[in-house]
Amino acid sequence: MINTNPSVKLDHVSKRFGEFYAVSDLSLEARPGRIYGLLGPNGAGKTTTLRMIVNITAPDSGSIELFGRQITSQMQDRIGYLPEERGLYKKMKIGEQLGFFAELKNVASKGMDERIDKWLARLKLSEWKNQKAMALSKGMQQKIQFITAILHEPDLLILDEPFSGLDPVNVELMKEIVLDLKSAGRTIIFSTHQMEVAEKICDDICLINRSRKVFEGSLREIKQSFGRNSVALRIEGGDGILKDPALVSFIKQHSDEVEVLLAPGASAQDLLERLVASGVSVSKFEMIEPRLNDIFIEKVSEAE
Amino acid sequence: MRKFFAVVKREYVQRVRTKMFIFVTILAPLVISLFAIVPAFIFSLRAGGPIKIAVVDETGSIYQRITDPLLKDRNQAEEEPAGDNANVLNANNRSPGRVPDKFTDTRFELELIPLNGRSIEQLRSELNQRVRAEDLDGYLILPAKLIQGQSPEFFGRNTGDVFTKEHLESVINRAVREERLATANIDVKVVRELSQPVDLRAFKVSERGEERDSGEGFIMVFAAGFVIYLTILMYGQIILGAVIEEKETRIAEILFSSLKPFTLMVGKLIGISLVALTQLGVWGLVLAVFAAIAAPELSIRIPSIAPIVFVYFALFFLLGYFIYATIYALVGSMVTTAQEGGQLAMPIILLLVIGFYLAFPVIQSPDSSLAFWVSMVPFFAPITMLVRIVTLTPPFWQIALSLFIGFGTVMLLIWIAARVYRTGMLMYGKRASIPEVWRWVRQS
Repeated sequence: MINTNPSVKLDHVSKRFGEFYAVSDLSLEARPGRIYGLLGPNGAGKTTTLRMIVNITAPDSGSIELFGRQITSQMQDRIGYLPEERGLYKKMKIGEQLGFFAELKNVASKGMDERIDKWLARLKLSEWKNQKAMALSKGMQQKIQFITAILHEPDLLILDEPFSGLDPVNVELMKEIVLDLKSAGRTIIFSTHQMEVAEKICDDICLINRSRKVFEGSLREIKQSFGRNSVALRIEGGDGILKDPALVSFIKQHSDEVEVLLAPGASAQDLLERLVASGVSVSKFEMIEPRLNDIFIEKVSEAE
Repeated sequence: MRKFFAVVKREYVQRVRTKMFIFVTILAPLVISLFAIVPAFIFSLRAGGPIKIAVVDETGSIYQRITDPLLKDRNQAEEEPAGDNANVLNANNRSPGRVPDKFTDTRFELELIPLNGRSIEQLRSELNQRVRAEDLDGYLILPAKLIQGQSPEFFGRNTGDVFTKEHLESVINRAVREERLATANIDVKVVRELSQPVDLRAFKVSERGEERDSGEGFIMVFAAGFVIYLTILMYGQIILGAVIEEKETRIAEILFSSLKPFTLMVGKLIGISLVALTQLGVWGLVLAVFAAIAAPELSIRIPSIAPIVFVYFALFFLLGYFIYATIYALVGSMVTTAQEGGQLAMPIILLLVIGFYLAFPVIQSPDSSLAFWVSMVPFFAPITMLVRIVTLTPPFWQIALSLFIGFGTVMLLIWIAARVYRTGMLMYGKRASIPEVWRWVRQS
């Protein structure tokens, strides 16, 4: 039953503040049942893009469609947004606070309390329901903010740096919920500047830099098309072989292993055969995928 | 609409429930009545023992005339029948500008220093020593030609005690006049009758007939202006704090992803106005109960107020509240911290203070053209027009015009503030400059 029409569609969208272009000519499509990563360094224009999708700011030019129709403010009720800059009312009780945010999303009053209890339990915060927000640690507050974004069961969930500052246990807890929502057919837009995080969770990605899109596509395709072969090695001897420019084009020394980038035309098989033939003892030989970070750096330098 | 009511409800419920609100609402009437009672009580306290004064009387006749009024309790002296106490001439007692009696209610101990052929200089050095030794608080020299106009002299440790000085002066005055009358063979009783002071009784003529007004009217006007001034100031600060809180904690961004900035801002303004009205309502109720039960018992007269005045009070309060609260909301969305907000809000407070002080000339001449014009300026109207209504109700068209201009201004201010608010609330890190704010207002 997964609908494959894009639920978010940006068409040549631009936004500028004075003379400064925050977003230029950006087009993208995010589909239900997938996690869409909006990636880029700080200041690339991620937050401005998200604010336009949530209908907080309007683009100067271009169009935004949500769920197949031109964006309207009524659609805000179907969106959950966890901004990067986020907060809670310090002196308001957690339960009331969640109720207030749910009311702002037009959640029916009937059954609202059960819904709040359910999510507090899932995020292991039930005993904090009647506490004021200022009594909670920063990590706990972040989980409460996460609940405000999902309490109304949005069709589109937008998470801006959702895991920053969380401990690994809570990151897993939140990730699990996000993956549940994904399999329930929701559209999730996930924005971060940490490529390692995006690599583990996203299905599709869009890299933006200095207000412009660098590239967009499914993560798997991007990695495949980025035909670059690296091998991680832990060996004794064989330095001469690694220096052969016909075989290796680049060597990166780590503490107890080396990472080599194979020369164009050379295969990992060739390298392994040469090493074994010359009697080098090999304790590790592993093909490594191109890292998103490396892809990003290369794409950005290409574009410039 | 549901979102709007959610905001109004949150602002109202969260604030009315706070201990601070309950505390201020209940305690303010108590504190105000304390302010009325405590100063009177403190002034009535007598610190230390009686004031010891030595008197050198070169005239030989004045000392007898000052002992009685100085040694007797003043109030007691006044109540004594005139005939029994012919020496005391109270004609001067109610002269305007005098400090009320209870402030000068000081006890004295007098000691007559006989001359015994010594010179004044000798006596003075002797008495100076006694003053330094704190055996005396001071001494009074009544020169021989006192009756002819020579000045008496007082030497004391604490000449800064103006109450004692003034008291001595008035007593000597009376004694000297009495002595002069006695010399001229005029009966003191006749003088007393002839110099009976008048008490100007003021009556207010209104639609409700004539009413005695001996100051309560002024107090009512002043109190109404003051309550409006103070409440607007207080709730303006609350708005400022509320807006800055949402900006500082970045809640604004989550809120804007759910409702329009305009809805949020107006919901906030209205929610907090209901808090203010609740508080004023409680105070009004306390006043009404006080007027009905306690006032007759304590024989405090509370002037009767036409019910329409309460309606005007509420209308002009709301006018002032929305004018100033909207500006406060605008300022709050421009700044990053409460301190910055306080600085930027200074001109607003100044405007409010000017409005408050304008109430004084308006009370004096409520139908002057100054009164008319200042009550048409929306920033001053809440206080000045209300003062006019209570003192000398202007024609209805003037009240209506003032309200019309005022609420028109409120609409304009809300329109401007909403535009600044929308952008300002999402701008972190630095205070918005005036040109920037102007640009936000102009762009759609």
